[in-house]
Amino acid sequence: MRFGAWELSVERAEGASPARVAVGALVAVALALLLASALFWTPEAGPWAAYRIAFGYAFANPSGLGATVHRAAYLLLCTLAFLVPLRGGLWNIGLPGQVYAGALAAFGVAFWAGAREAAAPGPWLLLMPLAAALAGSAVGALVGLLRAKLDLNEILVTMMLNSVLFWLVADFIKEGGALMSATAEGESFTLPQDFRPPLLLGLPPTAFLALAASVASDFVFSRTAAGYRVRTYGLNPQAARYAGIDPLRVSVGVFVAGGAFAGLAGYHYFTAVPGLYKIPTNYGYYGDLSFYGMICALIARGSAVGAVPMALMFAGLSVGGRFAQGALRLPFGVDYAILGLLMTTFVLSHLVDRYGFRWRRISPPRAARPQPEEAR
Amino acid sequence: MSELLVRSLEASTVFLLAALGELVNQRSGVLNVGVEGLMLFGGTAAFVVAKSSASYALGLGAGVAVGALLGGVHGVFSIRLRGDQVISGMGLWVLSFGLTTYLGSPHTGPLGLPPFPTFAGLSPFVHAGVLLVVAVWFVLSRTSLGLAIRSAGENPAAAAASGVNVPAVRYLCVVFGGTLAGLAGAAYTLSYNPVWNYNFLMGWGFVSLALVFFSMWNPWILLGGSVLFGAMWQLSLNPEYVLPGVLSRYVWRTVPFLVTVVTLTVISTPWFRTRWGLAKPQALGVPYSD
Repeated sequence: MRFGAWELSVERAEGASPARVAVGALVAVALALLLASALFWTPEAGPWAAYRIAFGYAFANPSGLGATVHRAAYLLLCTLAFLVPLRGGLWNIGLPGQVYAGALAAFGVAFWAGAREAAAPGPWLLLMPLAAALAGSAVGALVGLLRAKLDLNEILVTMMLNSVLFWLVADFIKEGGALMSATAEGESFTLPQDFRPPLLLGLPPTAFLALAASVASDFVFSRTAAGYRVRTYGLNPQAARYAGIDPLRVSVGVFVAGGAFAGLAGYHYFTAVPGLYKIPTNYGYYGDLSFYGMICALIARGSAVGAVPMALMFAGLSVGGRFAQGALRLPFGVDYAILGLLMTTFVLSHLVDRYGFRWRRISPPRAARPQPEEAR
Repeated sequence: MSELLVRSLEASTVFLLAALGELVNQRSGVLNVGVEGLMLFGGTAAFVVAKSSASYALGLGAGVAVGALLGGVHGVFSIRLRGDQVISGMGLWVLSFGLTTYLGSPHTGPLGLPPFPTFAGLSPFVHAGVLLVVAVWFVLSRTSLGLAIRSAGENPAAAAASGVNVPAVRYLCVVFGGTLAGLAGAAYTLSYNPVWNYNFLMGWGFVSLALVFFSMWNPWILLGGSVLFGAMWQLSLNPEYVLPGVLSRYVWRTVPFLVTVVTLTVISTPWFRTRWGLAKPQALGVPYSD
């Protein structure tokens, strides 16, 4: 498009600078919130009332803030579960399934230890998160193995396993299932005090683990040979093979690690968050929430530490969004709508990284020089 | 038992319509992993419009139009802008999952219209599905348009050199794929299960996507696979017809998904691929730049 002596064009960019990527991520989030404000507009309250109420509850109300921090730890673990395979170029959409697997394994240990009756003292507090991580890893390992050995699309396999594990949880907590509460249909038994992890500054150990793992993840990917191998495979699997990188080890390794984080996320939310300590009837909602982890990882462009503020903000949005939904009598699914819009603006920001506007001056055509007399 | 058969065929049709659109998509070289999202949006639009206007025709039109529009959006991203097709597809799925939950929730519950008209005891979607299989097979294997579609999916550079407008062919296919995904969603919410609930599909779109791989990109095998999966799905809802009292109904619900994983595993083995699986479009998922 020309403007006098200047031209504005859209051109494909070879690579985006970190600053541009960061600005793109912020713009993506801001745009999603702007779009969502139109959805939440009510004649009585105006477009921004939902955000004022949501953020006010999530970050300024003591009970809301507690819920936000617990949820942020959950989202951060889910972020890691998605991010680690993503660095290897693989999509772990199986977060809900691995979260359910972790929750089932943790409650399985508690059940086996006799948590429904008078349990004998034992190492249950260590065994429960370990079992949760192992269960998530086992699900992940299957996906990684199928991907590496048979080139089976990991998105399809993880989605199928999500549904399988969703129904397995139902089998365990409904209609007389082994983990069903004796007093309420459709939810698991509540963990007794001895099976609940201790809190430090009001937070369970998994919250600190999530933070430490974020730092460790960035270190591994930027400073170690193993991280380099995963990144190389993620950027170019063919070149990685030529360089001697074993696809099986990378594929299985990243899915095992990702599955372990998701399993721990399941342990965190269902066994370590005060006020819950059970698998509730609406456990599917917590599985859906795990997709926020996917958005965090994508918008943070693979940086686990960069995803920490994202996880905190999205946790606040989902906790506060539910509160605003009730206060403003908005339809169900405020947090789901934001999730969808965030994903859309991420895709747009991905495009902005690949294309750029170029504004340049067009040189005026040179006037023909008068030829010397002899040259004619 | 005949009720079970009818319901199985109707379930098969939902799988078939979505998978047939995706098959055409993929034959042209474009992968859309967000087919579930298109079905969710199409189904929700069809349900809301039909409920609000008390008209099946309007609902159906809305579902199909929304599907086509979203198919076109995927096309712009993956064809014009040469973006990552997986990112675009996942974006469409998450967008649909989130927005349909919010926009559809005021309409949660039954449709409240008389049952969808039937023809020869079956939903017209069943007949339409079979006719579409014939049409797609004919176009793909017997016409110059089909040759253009297949060549765009196999070797787009060679196709372009021989005069095929690869982007135009791919746009046509993604819009067609989106249209059928929207139609599949509409068939679900207007005829198969006319009750809206959030995330009502719970994996149907992904099973449809798996069916395309299972079919080895052949419409006839896709038809057979859809009938098989539809029957299996219906049996998982009514296990008393097969093994009454064995396992809980929740365990039965896992069966279609487990069978999908096992099927995908078998057809991905080197033995199977070497023998039968050579039909995968070579340029599938690869952006084309002329």
